[in-house]
Amino acid sequence: MADPVKLTIDGREIHAAPGTLVIDAAKQNGIEVPAFCYYEGLTLQAACRMCLVEIEKTPKLQTACTVPVAEGMVVRTETPQVATARKYMLEFLLTNHPLDCPVCDKGGECELQDMTFRYGVGESRFTEEKVHTPEKQFSPVVFFDAPRCILCYRCVRVCDEGLGVKALGVINRGVVSEIAPNHGDHLECDECGACIDICPVGALTSGAYRYQTRPWEMTHVGTICTHCADGCKTTLGTRNDRILRGNNRDRSGVNGEFLCIKGRYGFDFYDHPERLQAPLLRVNGKLEEVSWAQALNAVAQKFNQTLADGGTFGVIGSNHTSNEENFYLQKFAREVLRTNHIDHHRTGDVVTLLDALSGKEGKLATVADLYERKAFLVLGADLALEHPLLSYQIRANYRHHQAHIYVVTPGAVREDHYSTVSLRGRDYASLRDKLKAESELVVLFDDSYKGDDVRKLVEFGESLGIPVKYIALVDYSNSRGAVDMGVAPELLPGYKPSGQPGMHYGEMRDANLGALWVVGANPLKNGAQRKAGFLVVQDMFLTETAQQADVVLPAASAYEKNGTVTNATGEVQRLKRGINTMGAKPDLEIMGFIAREMGAAAALGPWTPDAVFEQIRKNVRGYQVPLPVLMTGGAAQTMPVNGRIPVESRPDLVHSDHNGLFASGTLGRYSKVLNSVMESRLRR
Amino acid sequence: MAEKIDILGAAGAIAKGLGVTFKEMMSPTVTENYPDEPPKFEERFRGSHILQRDENGMEKCVACFLCAAACPADCIYIEAAENTETTRISGGERYAKVYNIDYNRCIFCGYCVEACPTDAITHGHGFELASYNTSTLIKRKEDMLAPVPPGAHAPVIAAEEAAAH
Ligand code: SF4
Ligand code: SF4
Ligand code: SF4
Ligand code: SF4
Ligand code: SF4
Ligand code: FES
Repeated sequence: MADPVKLTIDGREIHAAPGTLVIDAAKQNGIEVPAFCYYEGLTLQAACRMCLVEIEKTPKLQTACTVPVAEGMVVRTETPQVATARKYMLEFLLTNHPLDCPVCDKGGECELQDMTFRYGVGESRFTEEKVHTPEKQFSPVVFFDAPRCILCYRCVRVCDEGLGVKALGVINRGVVSEIAPNHGDHLECDECGACIDICPVGALTSGAYRYQTRPWEMTHVGTICTHCADGCKTTLGTRNDRILRGNNRDRSGVNGEFLCIKGRYGFDFYDHPERLQAPLLRVNGKLEEVSWAQALNAVAQKFNQTLADGGTFGVIGSNHTSNEENFYLQKFAREVLRTNHIDHHRTGDVVTLLDALSGKEGKLATVADLYERKAFLVLGADLALEHPLLSYQIRANYRHHQAHIYVVTPGAVREDHYSTVSLRGRDYASLRDKLKAESELVVLFDDSYKGDDVRKLVEFGESLGIPVKYIALVDYSNSRGAVDMGVAPELLPGYKPSGQPGMHYGEMRDANLGALWVVGANPLKNGAQRKAGFLVVQDMFLTETAQQADVVLPAASAYEKNGTVTNATGEVQRLKRGINTMGAKPDLEIMGFIAREMGAAAALGPWTPDAVFEQIRKNVRGYQVPLPVLMTGGAAQTMPVNGRIPVESRPDLVHSDHNGLFASGTLGRYSKVLNSVMESRLRR
Repeated sequence: MAEKIDILGAAGAIAKGLGVTFKEMMSPTVTENYPDEPPKFEERFRGSHILQRDENGMEKCVACFLCAAACPADCIYIEAAENTETTRISGGERYAKVYNIDYNRCIFCGYCVEACPTDAITHGHGFELASYNTSTLIKRKEDMLAPVPPGAHAPVIAAEEAAAH
């Protein structure tokens, strides 16, 4: 690190690292320089002239957002000349601005409002007619109101640099210049809403949130996105048990302010008209709504009877339910139902990776590593579509630190644009010499690498002679947690062998079991016929599996419960309940009630998330994460095992759904936003 | 000596007080004969609220929530919705789908009226609000809306949404 530069801002002596911009140096020392177009992490634009400051020995005011600090520099941010410049800049921005704050979605959290209030004149001398253009809809998600735009280029830059999509640009000049989408009159992009989120004014608004409420009317609840395995923190804006928006403006969580369309808008499945809000019981061959007491009683009786008759149970767990639910479920299966027939849909070969890494510490990369480490090897996955956050992190790393990216995938991917080497196929071994020359490496691989492929890959990585970390990509919000919690026939929580491996997912689906209990999964989705004598399903919707069930219990979504989930990089984070949906209960509560009805609750312990998490902390290595970190919404990485995993891990069962940006397994079908985006693509 | 002064002082005070009494006896009465006769209000009396319409019959409220934000008693509840081609209720981009005032809590301070950028909410002269049942004191938008002015069109509501209104 070079020696810090000494300069003076507003009479205060300040030390800043060389290359720091004046605006940042001021901010680090608690001096505010107003800015619109400057945005941390994006390239410099110097378009808004809001950040003008006086620098001694330069004749004119300078933009603090582009001038780096220099030794002995004397900066003044509060002189009359600066104040006047700010006033006029604001007056200028407001000349054609409609000032429809009362109906503008940004009102109350608008940077232009705040700045005008603080630095503006309060009066306009512009009496001519304002330029007006009607509002446009760029896509099902993005709406654009040109008169409100202050041309700060933040949206253009975040789309180009942050997302690597380049879908927005500026057309025309002068007062009629405006933001335009990549396909003439409409956008074809990731629909992530980053442009809307980053817009300092109400020019870009979202179809999902617009005109519904005002920012100060909402309660903000920080929880974890329930779609893919990247584990983005999303802050839900809720009002009256409705989720109105998701964003992460406070940049807490592993994702900073990043969210893809699923995290930002795909929460809307909770409100789908087909959402189950009462238990269903099969009476005379038809599913009928019944009370919770009746439904739970029917399940408990049948379970007890099957136990007494010596019948076999099968249990299928979920990729979306919390760690607590998974732990309780496997304990229920093993201790009460006395079966090892328990499994979930496996989407990545985590087991083999952990086994291959046995005896080594610090081998699992975190989301933060993707922004900090120097080189990456991406195997198989189309990261930008399947793991938007991981892709975003690597892209930011490339922009800010020129990280080296090596891509070995079956087809073209977005990473090709900035990769050092892109290969089609699987021949990563040919990169050996190049990779050896790197100082460190993170390897990401998807489900096309499993079993021996993973072992070979780890062998290859460890032979490079540099520090290498790994990520086994999995599909869903708690895919990783489900394995950690032992929702697998051959594994107990913490990857301990279960002794007598039971049936796996497919076998249970096709076996003539006494009773099959499906929690948040859809094993019969491909039109298979149910075989089990008795089928209980806990789900949010009447899925193909639920349609064939004897009892359907309406479950709460991840946004309606507390607990923890573990993302693809093994980071445990906390779910926090944002809303309640009438009639639905969290899966943990449902299981607890079934246990109670069966008279087996005592053996399983209390069914509150905190109590079950205590049990997890005692049983699963790595989950002894500091509680304050979790409680305050932080993430803590786990390495759930260190030592051989002496079981046959069944890599043949690993199969990813390869959900793209607008799909999310069964859940995605019930999201209006995701469907409308896909439909709009088809129509074109 | 001190006693004499006391007595004179008291007599003076009584005379002064009675003076006021006699003077008021002669002046015209201001007491109103309510409820036998309708009460007379000062122009700016702050009674129960009226939600105004513009000259076209559109609701003036654009559901900006500023009244609710200004209300010290937190008694205004609004749900906003977007005006569309088929359903056009207010002059702006959006309208109040639900607008309730809880008169259990309203203190008639007039802050909501001050806050409104479109002069949509105003105080009327209604004051007969007493009720044995507090739940009747939550007034809905329909209870407070001004009538559609003569000659104006009522807001357009699409058939499928009319049921919800
Ligand atoms: S962008 Fe800001 S200043 Fe402009 S109308 Fe919207 S809230 Fe008001
Ligand atoms: S739309 Fe918003 S973010 Fe984009 S240039 Fe205009 S004001 Fe800036
Ligand atoms: S990247 Fe994954 S976790 Fe993040 S918002 Fe998108 S779907 Fe959710
Ligand atoms: S009454 Fe006025 S202040 Fe209240 S929401 Fe309507 S327009 Fe806004
Ligand atoms: S008069 Fe005062 S208390 Fe009553 S609704 Fe208006 S702001 Fe609230
Ligand atoms: S912030 Fe410096 S010119 Fe916009």
